Amino acid sequence: MNAVLHMDESALDAPLSVRGVAHAYEGRNALRGVDLDLPRGSVLGLIGRNGAGKSTLIRAMLGLLEPLAGETRVFGEPALRLSDAAKARIAYVPQQPEALAWLTATQMFDYLSRFYPNWDAGFVERTMQRWQLPTNRVMAKLSPGERQRVDLIRALASQPELLVLDEPAAALDPVARRDLLREVALRAGEAGATVLFSTHIVSDLERAASEIAFLHDGQLLLHCGLDETKERYARLWLPASQSAAAPPHALSRHRHDDGSLSVVVERGEDGGWPEAARLPGARVDALGLEDLFVEIAE
Amino acid sequence: MDASILTIQPTSPEPIYRQIVEQLRRLIAGGQLTPGEKLPSVREVAGFHAVNPMTVSRAYGLAESEGLLERQRGKGMVVATGQGISRSENERMQLLEPHLHETARQARELELPADEVVRRLQQLLGE
Repeated sequence: MNAVLHMDESALDAPLSVRGVAHAYEGRNALRGVDLDLPRGSVLGLIGRNGAGKSTLIRAMLGLLEPLAGETRVFGEPALRLSDAAKARIAYVPQQPEALAWLTATQMFDYLSRFYPNWDAGFVERTMQRWQLPTNRVMAKLSPGERQRVDLIRALASQPELLVLDEPAAALDPVARRDLLREVALRAGEAGATVLFSTHIVSDLERAASEIAFLHDGQLLLHCGLDETKERYARLWLPASQSAAAPPHALSRHRHDDGSLSVVVERGEDGGWPEAARLPGARVDALGLEDLFVEIAE
Repeated sequence: MDASILTIQPTSPEPIYRQIVEQLRRLIAGGQLTPGEKLPSVREVAGFHAVNPMTVSRAYGLAESEGLLERQRGKGMVVATGQGISRSENERMQLLEPHLHETARQARELELPADEVVRRLQQLLGE
């Protein structure tokens, strides 16, 4: 995983940096010691099942929640005491936006455009039309999906340097979803914006993400470049007769009813699979991201 | 060519940058792309397929280092001279080899009769 273990020197003013963050709700652990750095220009897909702690981690990262332990920084500033200058560089879209609900979308955009020097009014107009959103209805009267779409437009229009989206895909139809991914990918790749988006729909992030992180049960199981993840890990299947030879340090192992064994293995220094892959009857299967996630999150 | 000539399957276990390089290799070997032909810009490909521009840059960079593409001043990436139809049938067949092996493996796993698989392949080739 060295490829994206970003060193502390670059983390000093990294868009996002998290050290040892832990949190619990009513005694139930939500985050159990998370370390994460996000370098400029990266697009991180945060994958996890419902309840894995994705929203809690995002809220802690942005200083919207004070974690029980650990340190979170945004552009080098403590997340809980962000300056106005830092706040102006960030846009965050929660799963259920509630702010300014008594305004219409047009009123909200007019109001907010004054605070953002790079506000892109053309983008707002185009995208409101393309995503078929009502401009003159009070936002409290919009469906949750419409409300989140308006909020995504709001976030993108401010042209933020750091864009954080909590489960953005749920509210979008396939066309709008593709539009969003295109915006995310181009802004990161060209304008150097940094993006974090959480999802439980793995296929959504495979186009745009440059890195992925698996959050499971409050812990980061994996944080790696997207391409490297696909190239580095595979599933090794061993028949029952050979299963004792399985490598001891596998990311996951599942014993099947017939005694055969599936383990997630990692390429060695030399780029080869562990020796057990050459045993008679052994089979190595390439894994898509979703398969990998299911293997290690089960 | 434009960006629509590429097909991208984001959920495939094969990383997107490799998918792009393999397709360029096949398109060039098959003569659909000819030496000197201009490739769509990184932005066009990234925008059309909604993929990360860094992924496209990586693919173009790899294709360049393999001699498939070359960077031309003011023009961007073009198909390298000395690439393309000059390849023998044998060389082009080599490019298909891994895919044939994979198809054969899956057909055996599914216990499909060989003549059925061959008949279907002929059908597809005739289309």
